[in-house]
Amino acid sequence: MTAGTASAGRSLRVAATERRAAFGAFLLTAPGLVFLGLLFAMPLIQLFALSVEGGTTEWYAKVFADGLYTTIFIRTFEIALFVTVTALLIGYPVAFFLATTTPTWRAIGFALVMLPFWTSVLVRTYAWMIILGRNGIVNRFLIDYGFIERPMTLLNTRFAVVLGMVHVMLPFMILPLYSAIVRVDPDLARAARGMGASRFQIFRRIYLPLTLHGIVAGVTLVFVVSLGFYITPALLGGGKVTMIAMVIEQQVREFLAWNFAGALSVVLLAITLVVFWLLNHWVARRVPPATGQGR
Amino acid sequence: MEMNKGTRIGRRALLAGAAVALAAMPAAAQEPPKPRQIVINASGGAQAASLRKSYWADFEKQTGIKVVDTSPVDFGKLRAMVESGNIAWNITEIGGQDGYRVTQMGLAEKIDDSIVDRSKFVPAAKAMTHVFSPSSYSTVIAYRTDAFPKGGPKNWADFWDVKKFPGPRSLRNHPVDNLEAALMADGVAKDKLYPLDVDRAFKKLDEIYPHISVWWTTGQQPAQMLIDKEVVLATGWNGRFYGLILDKAPLAIEWEGGILKSGSWIVPKGAKDQYWSFKLLAMMADPERQAINAMRLGYSGTNTLSEQYVTADKKPYLPLEPTNLSKQIWLDQEWWTKNGQAMAERWNKWMLGKQ
Repeated sequence: MTAGTASAGRSLRVAATERRAAFGAFLLTAPGLVFLGLLFAMPLIQLFALSVEGGTTEWYAKVFADGLYTTIFIRTFEIALFVTVTALLIGYPVAFFLATTTPTWRAIGFALVMLPFWTSVLVRTYAWMIILGRNGIVNRFLIDYGFIERPMTLLNTRFAVVLGMVHVMLPFMILPLYSAIVRVDPDLARAARGMGASRFQIFRRIYLPLTLHGIVAGVTLVFVVSLGFYITPALLGGGKVTMIAMVIEQQVREFLAWNFAGALSVVLLAITLVVFWLLNHWVARRVPPATGQGR
Repeated sequence: MEMNKGTRIGRRALLAGAAVALAAMPAAAQEPPKPRQIVINASGGAQAASLRKSYWADFEKQTGIKVVDTSPVDFGKLRAMVESGNIAWNITEIGGQDGYRVTQMGLAEKIDDSIVDRSKFVPAAKAMTHVFSPSSYSTVIAYRTDAFPKGGPKNWADFWDVKKFPGPRSLRNHPVDNLEAALMADGVAKDKLYPLDVDRAFKKLDEIYPHISVWWTTGQQPAQMLIDKEVVLATGWNGRFYGLILDKAPLAIEWEGGILKSGSWIVPKGAKDQYWSFKLLAMMADPERQAINAMRLGYSGTNTLSEQYVTADKKPYLPLEPTNLSKQIWLDQEWWTKNGQAMAERWNKWMLGKQ
C-alpha cells in the first residue's frame, strides 16, 4: 500500500515536471511563433485577402484564363526541376565523399561547399556573368587555344540560368544528403562487398533506401526554393527566361495590380504546398520510419 | 511691474510688426516651422551624388534643413505610402512614363507655382500640374565605335539592319520605347507614331528578336555590356553613356529617333512640410544650377535659360540641345498610361512565345 502510494505520488510529480518542461519549451518557441505570425502569417493572410478583394474570383480566373500565366508557371516548374535533378546528381557524390573521407579532406570539402554558401547570391551571379560572357573567361580560353573561332553564346540562356541556380542551391542539397549518408553504417557496405555485391548494388540496395529521407529533404528544399528564384534568372537569362517571381514583381511594382499579384502568389504557394505534401506522402509510404538508422 | 510693462510693450510691438509683415511680405511672415530634415527618394548612384552637389548641399546650407536621400524609385511603394497615410518621403522621383498616371491616381500634390518658378520651362515640363521636371532624358541608340569603323547606325532602320551593322544587340525588356523604335524602323513618320500601331510594332520586333542577345532590365546594363563587348549595339538612357563618352570610351550615341522623357519629381499627396519641399524644388528650377547638373549627368535642364550656362563641349551630348531635340520625339505618357498593362502582357506573351 505504502509503496503504491509513493510510486503514484512520484509519477504525479514526474507528470508535473514534464508539464512544466513542456510549458517551458513552449515559452522558448514563443518568440519564433510571434515572429512568424507577425511577419509571415499576417502578410500571407493579407495577400490572400487582396486576391479575393470585393468577393471576386476574377483575378484567379485571369491566372488561368489565357495561356500566358500557366505557361510561365510550367516554365518555372521545368527550370526548378532541371535545377533539382542537376543538384542531386552533382550533390550526391559530393555528399558521399564528405561522409566517407578522412577528417582533413572532410574539412577541406566542407569549406569548399560552405564558402560560396556564405557569399551573396548577387555576387555569385555576377561572377557567372564574368565567366560565361562573350568576352568571358570560358570563351577567351577556348578562343586563345584555338578550340573555337567565334565566342559561344553561354550567357543569357536557359543553360546559364540553370547553372547559376544549381550553384546557389548545391549546399541545400549536399547538407541533408550528407547527414543521411553519414548515418549509414559502413559495415553494411563492407558486409555486402564481402558477399560479392557490386558497387552499383551496394548503392541501390543499401545507400539509396537508407538515404531516401535525405534525398527527399534535399530535393524538396531545392525545388521549393528554386520556384521562387528571382535575381539569378533575371541577370543570367538576359530577359529571355521568365520565372513566375519576376512576373509577380512586375505586377506589384509596375502595374500596381496587387490583387492580381496576390492571386498569382497564392496559386504559387498552393502548388508549392501540394508538391511538398506529395513528396512527403510518397516517401512516408515508401520508407517506414523504422527502417531509418538509429531513430 | 517693470517686467509686466515690458512684456506688454513687447507683445504690442510684435503684433504691429506682424501686421506690417503680413501686408508687405506675406511669404516671409507665414514661413512655416523648419523640419529637421527633408527625405528625398530618387534613383540613387551617380545621380544622387550630382544632385547633392548641384542643389541639395546649398539647400542645407541656406536653410539648415538636412536633406536625406533614399533609393530606389518605387511606384508601388509610393502608392502604399499614400494609401496608408504613412508617408516617409517628402519628395520622390518617379519613372518618366508615370507622370500622367501619378496625377490621375491622385498620388501627388499640385506643384505650388507661387514657390516654384516654372515660367521659363520647356512646354512639356510646364504643362504638368502635379509633376516637377527639372531635367529630360532620352532613350537613344548607343554603339561601339570600333565595331563600325565606317560609321555607326544613323537611325532605327539601321539598328534593325543586321547586314549593314552586324553584331549582337540589346534592347530593354519592356514594351516602352521599343514599340516606338520598331515603328520608326518600319518607316512610320515621327509625328504619326501615336496612337501606336501595336500589331505592326510587334511584327517588326519579330525581325530583330534573333539578334538581341540581352533584353536589359536595369539602366546601367547597356553601358556595361557595350564596355564588356557583350553587345555592339544597344538602347539606353543617354546619361548612362554620357560620362563614358566624355572619358573617351569607344562609344557613341545617335540622337535620331531618340525617345524623350521627363525626369519627374513629385510631392506625395499628404506629405509633411510641403512648403520646404517646394522650396527645395524651387532650387532645382534654377537655370544655372540645372546647367551644372546637366553637365555632370548628361540630362538637360528643362529651364530654357539653363542652356546658356552649358559649355560648348558638353552641348552635343545633351538631349534638349536644339539640334538634338529636333531629331527626337516625346514619349506619349497618356497613351502608355491607358495601354501600359495590356502592352506588358502582350510583351510577356510575345517573349514567352519565342522561348
